[in-house]
Amino acid sequence: MMPHSVAPQGYDWAQLFNALNTGIILVDSKGHVLLWNDWMSRHSGVNSEQILNHHLSDAFSETLPKSFIAAINRALSTRLPVVLSNALHKFPLPLFSTAGSGERISQSIVLSPLKQAQGELICLIQVTDSSTSIKREKMLRDHSELHKKDASTDPLTGLYNRRFFDAQYAIQMMQAQQQHTTLSLIMLDVDYFKNYNDHYGHIAGDSAIIAVANCIRSKLQRSSDLAARYGGEEFVIMLPNSTPAVAQSIAENIRKAVTDLKIAHINSMIASHITVSLGVSSCLPGVKVDTVTFLKNTDLALYAAKQKGRNQVQYLPL
Amino acid sequence: MDKLTDLHLDALSEVFNIGAGRAAASLSEIVAEEVKLSVPSIEFRKCAELNAKVLSLDQSQLGVVKQKFSGAFTADASLLFTEESALEIMRDMMGSQISIEELAEFEQEAMCELGNIILNACLSAMADMLEIELESSLPSYTVSNSDDYIQSIIGGEDQTYIMILHIDLEIERRQVNGRLIFLFSSSSLSTLRLQIDTFLQKI
Repeated sequence: MMPHSVAPQGYDWAQLFNALNTGIILVDSKGHVLLWNDWMSRHSGVNSEQILNHHLSDAFSETLPKSFIAAINRALSTRLPVVLSNALHKFPLPLFSTAGSGERISQSIVLSPLKQAQGELICLIQVTDSSTSIKREKMLRDHSELHKKDASTDPLTGLYNRRFFDAQYAIQMMQAQQQHTTLSLIMLDVDYFKNYNDHYGHIAGDSAIIAVANCIRSKLQRSSDLAARYGGEEFVIMLPNSTPAVAQSIAENIRKAVTDLKIAHINSMIASHITVSLGVSSCLPGVKVDTVTFLKNTDLALYAAKQKGRNQVQYLPL
Repeated sequence: MDKLTDLHLDALSEVFNIGAGRAAASLSEIVAEEVKLSVPSIEFRKCAELNAKVLSLDQSQLGVVKQKFSGAFTADASLLFTEESALEIMRDMMGSQISIEELAEFEQEAMCELGNIILNACLSAMADMLEIELESSLPSYTVSNSDDYIQSIIGGEDQTYIMILHIDLEIERRQVNGRLIFLFSSSSLSTLRLQIDTFLQKI
């Protein structure tokens, strides 16, 4: 009983089913196979002569999953279409790729009950190979990961950028206040950096910034610590769960590491090599303060370090 | 009188809970975990009266699985979760080792399956009770802004009445609630009311 509206009478329907690049099975209400197209033969290794009029579960050497059988029964008993997503049923049928590897095909399946003229119900099973779309989505996801990384990283130093820091800072601040933990901040500025750039040029300036960034990175041990390039020669470091003493000692370690680099800086007013000034501040449990004020306080600590002669760490309580 | 009475709604509520029970059984089989599903309340209104308060899903982004049912009467049926809940459900169903980023790519298809199970179970329970036959389109899933969603229902010309069912879904001890929405035209509603009346006279 082929509808005239779809194709003229006498049309070779078998040819059409076999040309489809998707698996087509028709089963009757008892689960006996009425139609099995070439795609199914190719990917199951069972041809239609072997399976026609046999029960669907006889087509495969392994037992079909309960959820698949239940879905067919559901489609037939409710007379409503049923979908089996790839997410929840990776490989319901033992179907294999015809390409070299012969790996099992990930599938998405749609079951449509069809009412025949005599009133009996049959079930159309459409099997789609979803491996290409899964691969494509994985590729897109990898790309978006890459973009996300680009959007959060400072290209010169590889540290986080200011935008990423601001977002994380707000989150960490909220968590610290909720969980009553101490959050510490360090702000760092390269001393007389403008003079350095003027004398040695921008390329040397960039190298110095990279060297300072590497010092910072080498002194942060915990994955929760976060360092970001905040401006030209300015860096900010966030230390969750760190007391003022710990934060100051990390700042001091960074200061020493930079000094030890011995990068010549003849136009520095305080040393013969590159040095940094650092300001430290901590938000202790129970202290109610907003992100702007806390950051500003850390900046004031940095200002104090500069005022007191640079190449040093200053702590300023909130 | 062009509306459903409390008596009609009670009958529907009972039958939807039967459907919910069947859906829970199917879902339990898929996730190999006990899934609980119930329909604690049902509400009937004119579409024009729908607003965020009536819908009471206080989130801007909604995940919507939609199927069109037809037969003795026609109804646009939708299952609504906040997008956040939809992702949580998916995560629970697929096992927690999967990341939120990975989830997003499966969300569409898996939500279609979940919605399909729940919508089919409720509608077929209703069809069984009323002894009618219903057909359905395949499910589609969209994420939409709740204001836009509400506007699309208020602005829709064909459908005049809306039935809102609250549903509670519990997977892996996590409880989320969603909404089942049915939209009816006046004539479909009259047919439905008549069929419920016939059913009520029989019992």
